[in-house]
Amino acid sequence: MQTLSTDVLVIGGGATGTGCALDLAMRGIRCILVEKGDITHGTTGRYHGLLHSGGRYVTKDPQSATECAHENAILRRIMPHCIEQTSGFFVITPWDDESYGDVFVTNCHRTGVPVQEISVAEMLRREPALNPRISRVFEVHDGSADSFLATHSVALAAREYGAEIRTYHNVVELVRVGDRVVGAIVEDLRSGERIRIDCTYVLNAAGAWAGKIAAMAGVTVTVVPGKGTMVAMNHRMVNTVVNRCKLPSDGDIIVPIHTVAVIGTTDVHVPDPDVFGIEPEEIQFMLDEGEKLIPGFRQYRALRAWAGVRPLYKDKDVASDRDIPRTFKLLDHEERDGVSGILSIVGGKWTTYRLMAEQTVNELARRLGNTQPCRTASEVLPVPRFEHRAHAMVTVSPDPAAQTPHYWLGKPLALVESEHAAGDLICECELVTRDRIIAAIDAGAHNLDDIRRDVRMGMGPCQGGWCIYRTANLLYERRCADGLSHTHANEAMLHFLQERWKGLTPVLWGDQLRQARLDELIYAGVLGIHRLRALAEPGGGLVTQHPAIATEYVQA
Amino acid sequence: MDHIELSLTQSLDHCIKCNICTSACPVAAVTDAFPGPKYVGPQAQRFRHAAQPSPDASVDYCSGCRVCNQVCPTGVRIAELNARARAQIVAERGMPLRNRIIARSGLVGRLSSGPHAPLVNFTLNFAPARWMIERVMGIHRHAPLPKASTYTFRRWFKRHKPATNGRRPQVVYFHGCSTNYYEPHVGKAAIVVLEHLGFEVIVPPQRCCGLPLLSNGDFPAAQSHHEYNVAQLLPYARAGIPIVGTSTSCTLTLKEEAPELLGLHGDDIHAVAAGTYDIFEFLRNLYEQGRLRTDFRPIERELPYHPPCQLRAHRIGRPVLDVLGLVPGLRLRESRAECCGIAGTYGIKREKYQIAMDVGKSLFDFVRASGQDLALCDSETCRWQISGATGVATRHPIELLAEAYGLAV
Amino acid sequence: MYDTIVIGAGLSGMLAAIGRAERGEKVLVLAKGHGATHWSTGCIDLLADVDDPLAGIAQLAIQRPHHPYALAGPAMIEQGIARVRTIGEAADYPFAGNLNRNLLLPTALGALRPTAFAPATMIAGDARQLRDGRPTLIAGFAELRDFFPPLIAANLRAQGIAAEAAQLALPPTQRQHDFSSVTLARLCEQPAFRANLGEQLAAHVRKGGYARIGLPAILGLRHATAVVRDLQNRAGALIFEIPTLPVSVAGMRLYQILEDELLRLGGRIQLGGFVQRAEHIGDTLVAVFSEAAAREQRHTARHWVLATGGILGGGVRATPEGYLYETALALPLQTPDGRAGWFAPRFLDEHGHPVFQSGVRVDQRLRPLDAAGRLVYENVQVVGGALAGYDPIREGCLEGAAIATGWAAGQA
Repeated sequence: MQTLSTDVLVIGGGATGTGCALDLAMRGIRCILVEKGDITHGTTGRYHGLLHSGGRYVTKDPQSATECAHENAILRRIMPHCIEQTSGFFVITPWDDESYGDVFVTNCHRTGVPVQEISVAEMLRREPALNPRISRVFEVHDGSADSFLATHSVALAAREYGAEIRTYHNVVELVRVGDRVVGAIVEDLRSGERIRIDCTYVLNAAGAWAGKIAAMAGVTVTVVPGKGTMVAMNHRMVNTVVNRCKLPSDGDIIVPIHTVAVIGTTDVHVPDPDVFGIEPEEIQFMLDEGEKLIPGFRQYRALRAWAGVRPLYKDKDVASDRDIPRTFKLLDHEERDGVSGILSIVGGKWTTYRLMAEQTVNELARRLGNTQPCRTASEVLPVPRFEHRAHAMVTVSPDPAAQTPHYWLGKPLALVESEHAAGDLICECELVTRDRIIAAIDAGAHNLDDIRRDVRMGMGPCQGGWCIYRTANLLYERRCADGLSHTHANEAMLHFLQERWKGLTPVLWGDQLRQARLDELIYAGVLGIHRLRALAEPGGGLVTQHPAIATEYVQA
Repeated sequence: MDHIELSLTQSLDHCIKCNICTSACPVAAVTDAFPGPKYVGPQAQRFRHAAQPSPDASVDYCSGCRVCNQVCPTGVRIAELNARARAQIVAERGMPLRNRIIARSGLVGRLSSGPHAPLVNFTLNFAPARWMIERVMGIHRHAPLPKASTYTFRRWFKRHKPATNGRRPQVVYFHGCSTNYYEPHVGKAAIVVLEHLGFEVIVPPQRCCGLPLLSNGDFPAAQSHHEYNVAQLLPYARAGIPIVGTSTSCTLTLKEEAPELLGLHGDDIHAVAAGTYDIFEFLRNLYEQGRLRTDFRPIERELPYHPPCQLRAHRIGRPVLDVLGLVPGLRLRESRAECCGIAGTYGIKREKYQIAMDVGKSLFDFVRASGQDLALCDSETCRWQISGATGVATRHPIELLAEAYGLAV
Repeated sequence: MYDTIVIGAGLSGMLAAIGRAERGEKVLVLAKGHGATHWSTGCIDLLADVDDPLAGIAQLAIQRPHHPYALAGPAMIEQGIARVRTIGEAADYPFAGNLNRNLLLPTALGALRPTAFAPATMIAGDARQLRDGRPTLIAGFAELRDFFPPLIAANLRAQGIAAEAAQLALPPTQRQHDFSSVTLARLCEQPAFRANLGEQLAAHVRKGGYARIGLPAILGLRHATAVVRDLQNRAGALIFEIPTLPVSVAGMRLYQILEDELLRLGGRIQLGGFVQRAEHIGDTLVAVFSEAAAREQRHTARHWVLATGGILGGGVRATPEGYLYETALALPLQTPDGRAGWFAPRFLDEHGHPVFQSGVRVDQRLRPLDAAGRLVYENVQVVGGALAGYDPIREGCLEGAAIATGWAAGQA
C-alpha cells in the first residue's frame, strides 16, 4: 500500500474542508485533503446560494448573525467573481406578524447587521413581481454566491500554496494507535487502490457526514442531517434576495442566482444524510409560500428540485432542528472524548466557512507550533481556468456597473456575444461554450456531473436534453486516447440523465413535463440510447454508483 | 406589473429549446449576424436584468417579422421579447439619428408629400443624392423608398362627397401614414368600397400608429402616439363603431403590439384594440353575416398575392383570399415566402439592406415567375419592397375589390 | 364555413387534412405551430423491437383493442403509408422500406434503431448492409454540435460494423459561424459547397476504400434526394444520412412534402394561435375559437379532427396540482390515477411513464368518449398523440399510429 505523510489530513471537500486546506497551506502547514466525490459534492453543492447578510439569524441566533455580517463583507472582497451583489429584502406579508418588523430592526442593530427600511413603492419599483400587499420592507446586504466556483477557487489557491487535494478518495478507516489517531486508509474510487496517509492531525470537516467519520475514530459526534429541499424556477422573477420577515421557517426565501430563482427551504430531520427523498407535499408547500411573496408563483415554470443536508451539530437537547444554532463548533476530541490526533469542525454555514477555517487552523497551528497569522481574509482568490475567459470579459461592457469584478447576470451572454460563439454553445440554456466544456475536462473533470458543477452545463430549462449528448461526446473525444471507452461515454450519459430525472420528477407539470417528454423523444427515440445498454460488459464495474449521493464516477 | 404584463415576459418559460423558431427564421437563414430567435429571445432573456446594462446587441438584427411566434409550438412571444430587449438597448445607448428619422413616418411623410412631392421624388430617384443619403444617413442607396404624393388622403377626404346620404351605419377608417402621404389611392379605394357597402365613413384625427418607433426601440415616443390615437378612437370604440384599417401593421399595432410591448392595459386601450379590424377581416365578417354585397364584375386574372408578416401576426387566416375568392374569374396564387425582407424600416438600413434582399429572394422569384405585371399585398412597405426588387407593380387588395365592384377611384 | 377543420399540424393532422381535401372537402388546418414532425427522425416508425411490424401490429390489436392501431385497422395503416409514399415519390423524396421487416438504422450515437420506412437518403445505412464487412466511414463537421463521428463509429464497431470516423473541413462559405443542421442543409443545396464536400468524400474513399459514408442528416432541405445522388456520384460510395437532434432536417422535409400536398389540394393552413375553446349544440361541435390579436377568431365547420398531440404535442397539459386536461376542446381524458402513478423511477424505464399514455378515449370511429363511455361529440375525431392508451415513443410507433389514425379520420 502506498503511504503518504503530512501534518494535517483534512476530510471533506466542501467549503469548510477546502477553506481549512487553504488556510493551512497559506501558513505553511503541510496538508492533504480527501473528498469522496468531487469538490462541493456534498452540502456545499446543494444549497440555494445565499450569501447571508445575517438578517435571518438576528433574533434566534445572534452570534451567527454577527459572524455572517462580518464574513459577508470579507467574501465580497476576496471572491468577487463568485458573488452577485443582489441585495436583499426582508418583507412583511399579510401572513406575517406586523410587530416583528420593529423587533427585526432592533436586533439587526444589536447584532451589527446593516439594515435600512425602504418604502413598499420603492420595493415594487425595483421588484415589480412582488406582492403589492407587502406592508414593510427592510433592505439588507444579502447576495448570491456560486458555491461551486467559490470552492473551486479556494481549492485552486490551496493547491498553489502546496496543499494536496485528492477528490474521489473515500476514507475507509482511521488508524488509531492507543488513544491517538495517527492517520487514515483511503480508497481511490477511480482505481480501487488503497492509500495510507500518516498525519499529525486528522481534521474531520465532513459536514453532514462528520458523525460517520468520527465513529471511525470511536467517538460520537451527533450531526443532525437537516434536509433542506429547494426548487429552482426557470427564470429570475426577482433580482433581489427576498426573505419573509419572520422567524426562519420553511419556504420563506427566494434567492436569485445565475439564471434561476431558488425558493427554499424545508428543514426535515433525516436519519441518514445519504438516504432521503423529496416529498410532493414539500413542493406544494413551497409553491404556496412562493405565492405569498410573488402572486402567480405557481404559474412560473419550475425547473428542478433538490435537497441538501445541513450539518447541524446538536450538543444538547433542542426542541426542533431549526432551533439548533447555525453557528459552528470546533470539537477537540482529546478534551471531549479522550482521543487525540483528531478535531472535528461541525455546524456553520457557507457564508462563514472562512471564519470556521480560520478558527480551526488557529487551533491546529498553535498545536503544531506554527505562529503564522491567518491571511485568508485579505488575499483575493484566483479564478479557475474553465471560468477564466468568462471572467476576463467583464470589461467588455461599456457600463461602469459592469466593470466591477463581481458576477453579473448578463456576463455569460456578453461573453458569447463578444466572441460570436452562439453557434458553439454546447449547453444553450446556460450559454456554456465548447471551449469552456473542454477547459473543464482538461482541468480534471471526470464525469458529466463534475462538468455540470464546474460550468453549469445541463442546469437550464432543458435539463440536459441536448447538452448531455454533446458533452458526453466531447468528453469521449477528449479522453478516448487515455482509455475512456465508448461504454464509459454511453453509461455516463445514461447515468446523468437518471440523475436529472430524480430532480425533475417532483416538479414535472406544464412546460417542464413537456420538456421531459421531448428529452425522452431525443434519447429514447432519436438517439436510441437505451439500445446501447447491452454494449456495457455486465459487471464490468465501469461506472460505480456511489451509495451516498448517487453520482457517477467514471473510471478514467 | 399586472398579470397580463407578466405574461409576455413569462412566456419565455414556455420555451422547450426545440429550435423550430430558429429553423423557420428568415433572417437567421441568410445571415450569421443574427443568432436566431431562440437565442436572442427566450434564451438570452434569462440573462437580462432591467437594472443592468444590456449584455447583447445582436437582438437588433431581429426584423420583427414574427415568423418565430407563428411556428413556435409552445407560445413563446419571441418577437415581443426581442422588441423589448432592443428598447432597453435604445434606452441605454440612445438611438442613431437615422433611426430617429425613419421611425417618424408621419413627420417624414408630412415633409415630403404635397405640391413639392415631384421634387422630393426626383431627388430620391437621383443616384448621387441617394449615395449622399447613404453616406450621411445610413439609408441604403437601393432601398425602396415610396413616392411622395402631391396631395394627402386627408385633403382628398375633406372634399370627398359620399355618393348617397341618409342614415347609415358608421365605420371609422384608420388610414395610417403611408395612405395619407404616399398612397392616397389605397384610402380612396377603402372609402368607396365601404360607402358602396352602405357605410358612412368617419376619418378622425390620427397620428402614426407608432410601429416604426416600436420596432426601432423608441418606446416613450410610441407610447405618446398610441395614447393620442386611443383618445381619438375611443368614443367610436365605446359606441360600437368598428375601426378599420388598410395597413395591416397599423391595425396590428392598435390591436396588440402597442398595448403589449408598452405594457398598457387600461380599459380604454383594450376597447380600442378590440374594436379595430383589418379591412378584409371586417369584410369577411360582413360576408359571414350575409351583409357583404357580392355584385362583382368578373376579373379574369391569376395574380400573385403575398400575405405580409404583419397580417399573419393578426392570426386571422387569409381574409383577402376569403373575400377576393368571391370575385368571379379571379384566382389569387398565395406566396409561401416567409417574408419580403423589408420589415418596415429594417430593410432600408445600410447594414441590413442585403439581408432584407436575401430574405425576400424566394418571394421575388415567386412574383417574377408568375409572369404577371401586378402583385397584391396588404402591407405598404412590403409592396414597395416587392416592386423595388422585381419591377412588378403592386396594389393593395382593396383596390382590386373596388375594381370588382366597378367603383371608380 | 369549412367542411373540415383539423386542429394540429403534425403528421396525423396533415394526413387527415390531405385525405379530406382530396375528397373535395374545403379543409383548414389550424395549429399553434409546428410540432413533433420537426423533432423526430423523419422516418416512419411502425413498431419497434419486432422483426415484422405488420405482424406485431396484428398481435397488438388483439391484445390491446383500444390501441390506436386496433382502432384504425390494418387497411388504414397500409393505405396511409402508401399515400405518404406516393406523396414522397411525387416530390422526389421517396421512402423505402417494408411493412413486414424493420430496417435497422444507425442513430447519432451509433445505436441501431428499428424503423419501417426511411427516406431514400438514409436507406444505405441499414445495418444488414453495413455488416457486410466492407468499411463504412462516419463523417461530420466539427462545427456541427449535434453530430460526433468518433462515438458513433466506436459504438457501431462494438456491434460488428467496420466503421471509422472522420471530421470533414467545412467548405468555404460566406458564413463565419453558427452552423446548425438547418444552416448546413441550406448550404448543401449550393453547388459549390456540395462540390467541395464531394471532393473531400472522394479523397476519403480513395484513401480508405469505404463502401459507404454516413453523414448527419443535413444534405439539403428541399432537394435532399438530388443532393445525396450528386454526392454519391462525386464520392464514389453510397451515402446515408443519420438523423440529428431537434430540429430535425429530415423531419422538416417530411412536413414540407405534406404541406405542399395539402396546399396543392386546395387546403389551408393557419398557424400562430392556440385553439382554446369550443362551442357546441348538444353533441355537435359548432365552432372553435383560436387565440388572435386583440380577440379570438371563431371558426366553423361541419366536421372536426383533433390532432393536437399528447403531452409532447401540447394537446394534453398538466397542472402543478396534478390535474391533466385537454387543451383545445376540454375533452375528458383517460389518465393514470393520481400524480404518484405518473412516473417510473427510471427515466429510460422500458415501459415508459404512465403519464404519457394520457389522452382521449375514443369509439371505433375515433370519436371522443367520456369516462362513462358516452359519446361527447358526434362530429369530432381524435387522432395521433392525443389518443389515450399508448406510448408512441417507447412503443416505436410515433409515425405509424399518427398516419394510421390520421388517414382513417381522413376517410370517414
